[in-house]
Amino acid sequence: MRDGLDRWADPPLLVLASLAEEPKHGYAITQDIADTMGVRLSAGTLYAVISRLESRGLIEPLESDDRRRPYRLTAAGARELSEQSERMRQVASVAQQRLRANYGWGGA
Amino acid sequence: MSAPQSPPRGRRAGIAARAALSLYPPAWRARYGDEVRALLEDSGGGPRAAVSLAWHAVPAWAWPPRQLHDGSGRMRASLATTGVAWVLLAGLAAVFAQLAQAQPSSQGQTLAQHPVIQWSYWAFDGFLAVSVLSVAAGGIPLWWLMIRTAHRRREVAWLLAPAVVPAVYLVATFVIADLVSRPSPPVGPWQSGPVADLANGGVGPRWFLALVVLGFAAAVLAAAGPALALRGLRPEGPAVVLAARAAVLATMTMGLACAASVVAAVGLYLWAPADAGYHESWQLAVYLPAVLLSSAVAVVSATRGIRAARPPAVA
Repeated sequence: MRDGLDRWADPPLLVLASLAEEPKHGYAITQDIADTMGVRLSAGTLYAVISRLESRGLIEPLESDDRRRPYRLTAAGARELSEQSERMRQVASVAQQRLRANYGWGGA
Repeated sequence: MSAPQSPPRGRRAGIAARAALSLYPPAWRARYGDEVRALLEDSGGGPRAAVSLAWHAVPAWAWPPRQLHDGSGRMRASLATTGVAWVLLAGLAAVFAQLAQAQPSSQGQTLAQHPVIQWSYWAFDGFLAVSVLSVAAGGIPLWWLMIRTAHRRREVAWLLAPAVVPAVYLVATFVIADLVSRPSPPVGPWQSGPVADLANGGVGPRWFLALVVLGFAAAVLAAAGPALALRGLRPEGPAVVLAARAAVLATMTMGLACAASVVAAVGLYLWAPADAGYHESWQLAVYLPAVLLSSAVAVVSATRGIRAARPPAVA
């Protein structure tokens, strides 16, 4: 279940984080990730991730008459994102603490 | 939907990116194709998108998303491919039988002298019989189901190919062999007719090669009939599952029969070079890769079919 989801800045996590704001279609997801997280996902990567997250029930498509079908985060997706972001927060906290103690620098 | 995320409409997706999209499996394209095309139009779809799409097409084939699981469709496609591969293996087995087992030369002495060739012949015969019986047991219920469906739609013609095409081929072979055969006295009851001994001077090497090529064409045509009918009639249910399981058994046993024939062919090459068939290295060089390739296609396809028979695991 966690394969590929526990890597730093992994595309599935970026997509989950983007959809945590509100439902979005493919182009809106790539724009949001580029604007807020500084990562530009290509079309192949984005839809490989979308199909994988959908098959695991972490996101779901919404009805749409347009070809630009929006997706939203499911409860399972929100739980997964919460767990992963908590782990990332712990790692970041420990890293900043040690950087401050040993190098005098701990980021913002 | 947030307003600032509205895409710039009106761009055309790049030709390369659209071509890369065609590399994906049909089920994937049916589900995500329109969305990806819309994304490409919105974002421009340059070379990076084309490369990315082409790269991710590989896992889309190897590990298709679970929500696109179409067990019956996968089984039908696998059955069609396995059927064609099995027929090619059966054709290779028939060629082996003609060039080795049906030979009236010094085979009797060779068999008595070398147990490896003798055991290989017996294994070949046994596995071949089980394989043919498996095809009959698993294929006839599905064939009958399709015949009934096709009869209602008046599309029976393709389904008659497995019976009509081999019959036409055999009649043609008998006629050709009768016209061009050279006299050669039979040494056993199984070699009483020209068809049973085409290779050993019965029709000469050129006619034999022509009949082999014609035979493979007829075999593929005979297998293509049910394969096309599977695609068009889309049968489902226990008959398809039974046929998929029988296909696995038939493929395994035909593969074993062909493996036994390879052992026998190598044995003939090593220990019985005076025999008519498989006494030259080029014959092995053609026969062995053909057997391996057909077996690999049949095994992979049958495995995919039987995996498709299982319901997808819950995420």
